[in-house]
Amino acid sequence: MNKEIISKAINKYGREREHLMNILRELESLSEDNYLDVETLSELAEQMNIPKSAVAGFVDFYTMFKTTPRAKYVIRICKSTSCHIMGARTIFEEIESILDIKPGEATRDGIFYLETCQCLGVCSVAPAMMINYDIHGNLTPERLKKIIDDYRKKEPVDGEACGPEVEGKKCIIEGTPQTKRLLENVGVVNPLEIDTYVAKGGFDALKKALGMDRGDIIDIIKDSGLRGRGGAGFPAGMKWSFVTKGDMQKYVICNADEGEPGTFKDRILMEENPQALVEGMAICGYAIDASIGYIYIRGEFRRSIIRLQKAIDQARAKGYLGKNIFGSSFSFDIFIKEGGGAYVCGEETSLINSMEGKRGYPRFKPPFPGVTGFMGKPSNVNNVETLMSVPMIIEKGADWYKSVGLAGCTGTKLYCLSGKMNRTGLVELPMGATLREIIDIHGGGMKCGSKFKFAQVGGSAGGMLGEDLMDIPLDIDNPMKHGVTLGSGVVLVADQNTCPVDFLLQILSFFEHESCGQCVPCRVGTSHLHAMVKKFAERKASISDIDLMIKKAELMKKTSLCALGQSPVMPIVTILKYFRSDFEKHCDPSHRCPECESSLTTYYIF
Amino acid sequence: MNIEFIIDGKLIRAHKGQSILKAALLNGIDIPHLCYHEKLSATGACRLCIVKVNGMYKASCTEPVAEGIDVVTYDEELSMMRKELLEMLLAEGDHNCLYCHSNGNCELQNYCYQYNVEPPAKDLPKNIREVDLTSSQGIKRDENKCILCGRCVKACAEIQVNFVWDFAGRGSHAHLTSDMYEKIGDSSCIQCGTCVQLCPTGALSFQTVLGRGMNWELKKESSICIYCGVGCKIDFYTNKEGKLVKAMGNDEGPNKGHLCVKGRFGFDFVQSNKRLTTPLIKKNGKFEKATWDEALDLVASKFGEIKEKSSPDALMAFASAKCTNEENYLMQKFMRSVIGTNNIDHCARL
Ligand SMILES: Cc1cc2nc3c(=O)[nH]c(=O)nc-3n(C[C@H](O)[C@H](O)[C@H](O)COP(=O)(O)O)c2cc1C
Ligand code: SF4
Repeated sequence: MNKEIISKAINKYGREREHLMNILRELESLSEDNYLDVETLSELAEQMNIPKSAVAGFVDFYTMFKTTPRAKYVIRICKSTSCHIMGARTIFEEIESILDIKPGEATRDGIFYLETCQCLGVCSVAPAMMINYDIHGNLTPERLKKIIDDYRKKEPVDGEACGPEVEGKKCIIEGTPQTKRLLENVGVVNPLEIDTYVAKGGFDALKKALGMDRGDIIDIIKDSGLRGRGGAGFPAGMKWSFVTKGDMQKYVICNADEGEPGTFKDRILMEENPQALVEGMAICGYAIDASIGYIYIRGEFRRSIIRLQKAIDQARAKGYLGKNIFGSSFSFDIFIKEGGGAYVCGEETSLINSMEGKRGYPRFKPPFPGVTGFMGKPSNVNNVETLMSVPMIIEKGADWYKSVGLAGCTGTKLYCLSGKMNRTGLVELPMGATLREIIDIHGGGMKCGSKFKFAQVGGSAGGMLGEDLMDIPLDIDNPMKHGVTLGSGVVLVADQNTCPVDFLLQILSFFEHESCGQCVPCRVGTSHLHAMVKKFAERKASISDIDLMIKKAELMKKTSLCALGQSPVMPIVTILKYFRSDFEKHCDPSHRCPECESSLTTYYIF
Repeated sequence: MNIEFIIDGKLIRAHKGQSILKAALLNGIDIPHLCYHEKLSATGACRLCIVKVNGMYKASCTEPVAEGIDVVTYDEELSMMRKELLEMLLAEGDHNCLYCHSNGNCELQNYCYQYNVEPPAKDLPKNIREVDLTSSQGIKRDENKCILCGRCVKACAEIQVNFVWDFAGRGSHAHLTSDMYEKIGDSSCIQCGTCVQLCPTGALSFQTVLGRGMNWELKKESSICIYCGVGCKIDFYTNKEGKLVKAMGNDEGPNKGHLCVKGRFGFDFVQSNKRLTTPLIKKNGKFEKATWDEALDLVASKFGEIKEKSSPDALMAFASAKCTNEENYLMQKFMRSVIGTNNIDHCARL
């Protein structure tokens, strides 16, 4: 790539290292074969005055980038749990036969390149794939053929027009008894027109907040009982109060990296009501005295990015962002930073490193981001759903917010339904809905011919729930008493056709793929665990391997640097709680398991 | 020393902000560690220094001390955990001490021995990483012995400030890169060797060493570098035959253990057979051996001649940067009061 193109990209975003991701993304999209050659990278390093090794290490960390040629269109087919259960293997087999290539190869005409990928955040329309940045769901062999034909003929469509079945509002379950608070505005507010949000009372909460004392806002959030919706469930008001006070620059960071397999709630919120996120961030900014907000969003979420950017631009034009908002002394602006394909970057400190143009290695804590965050400055990191709950709390009060949900776990929760139910999609229910209620009422029961086997709640890092846990309240605290977790609100339902060994194989392949590789227990442990469960799938394991697997995962839990390495133990232990006998059966070399065999031949061919 | 707490039943005093590991080491309590190095910022990657703080597992290299905490650095469970972590490291790489030049001088080997680690199972996955023993004149790289502790990355970034090393890849495929995925010999490495000196295993090593002596046979002699005016303190290692095989920065000198490429590798002349052992005087176009008296007499008489015939200013002296201040003082004194000229200079560069 010539020097002028490179310097143009640098000038567009800025010379500082924190813009590295955006610049590389732009350069890769400008290259014909979707890759970044090392000469370009060296030239970029030189022009930006960053070490070559840092650029090399950065590019190599994020799956979106590649340093060898791909093709005009990169097809990424999701193999995460939801898509896997809903038939990703068939899609793989079909695409391999249509294009006559295997993952990691390009068609001879240089038009298509095939890759596997992890969760694309459209799990209710699984199985899904992404072609360049267009996501397509509800794939069937016939649909797949037609999509590929279309790409052969036409130019790619932009994020807004592509994949109508994955658009936010299409992924919400309608017609069941829900408590819509976060989803109240969906379909009412036009995500592309800020005025429609303002007409519904949008930014009233910000105006109200600006007339209040900073400490009082934090007290209201504390009083409301709002807890983080990113997975850990930390009380939001408390987190805000921990942000260092003083004259220094502070930041609000919205974690929109949504990568936990099975989760798609943040995407829908951002696609359908991006203005509310802008408002929530501004209120948080005022409360913690920050003047800049960043939204770190998965690069795959094209439509969300476009709509958020529009909402930010319109808010700026209307004076809801910028200098002296509502004539007050408070100034606040929001910028978007994109991710490059790394689940671990959802971990808040890894996210901050990524924002700084570094490899997404989690940092050790303490110091926590509230003390030393982005660029070493105090930063408050919250999930999209958390921040979007803020305006309504300010407007309607803590008591109103607490009026639904459970005592220690208030408000509503977005549950992401996927798997073998009649209806899949997003529902908003008071905190503490039960699995039974979710499946029977909102999911419309199991699909015809499907019998409930287990549900994984909380994503790949979550645990399995069998019949015995159908009636526990799925809030933040109750599942923990049973060795499972609510996590980000994933409810993935598997039926009798799912082989637990095969299912665990996908989970552990996910963890191996997504471990950052920084600390020993997780880097080596995820790879060992994956190899061990693969031995079961290949029917080469012995019964003692079951306990070895648990032992290893427990060591990882005790010693890993971040929560990623601490996670695999939960799915392993809980799946063994119900299906130990399946693992034992797989120790017999004569045992036949079509599920495992099929996975081994479609996903592990290279 | 404003914080008091307990390590293994002993009362410890430490500064606020200090890590538990640092406080322990300063008090003579050794907690196993591989990625931590006192010259570098903490990483928290190897997890070997995990201790129990009020019963919770914490990496002591990154966990700050706090008033009244109760730290346990060693018990049966911790020892088991460390053993398992070491097993993971052995399984991940390709470690055969028999063939390794770091045999006997390897932090990984020491801990594996100390914790009774057995050879890892054969069927565990490994990723073959880069072996490059030839591209650089100074440094060898065998990443299959690398434990990805990151000391080299930080040594290059924080001490030498050259940023040649970084991590590439991800997860179990993580590995090192120098510059843009280049061989170390083709990279911008200036061969100061700091990364090798800080490497806890045999992943990075010096070209000069292999086959010239087992680590336990080497004798250490401390000296001052003869090159420039910084006066770095160096530990020179000689083998059984008395040959110099490696130079390591000594922590007590002004260099605090750091060396440049000349201090690190520029010692081959010491034992070169081309080295002069007596003065030589050119007679009939050929150099012939002479005694010091003959040589000095000759120089003195020639100086006298020039001074007489031309003038004192026809002479000048130029001192080497290898000279000490005292030698330089003598040189200028000699030129000014014996020869009678102010023509003196010094090459304060090398
Ligand atoms: C491996 C890993 C991935 C994570 N991914 C996300 C994510 O995609 N989105 C998110 O909001 N939080 C994610 N988290 C949790 C964040 O670290 C952090 O707790 C959260 O963003 C805080 O926001 P909250 O308090 O509003 O929940 C992840 C954590 C880990 C360990
Ligand atoms: S636990 Fe895994 S993801 Fe987290 S720092 Fe360690 S290697 Fe990286």
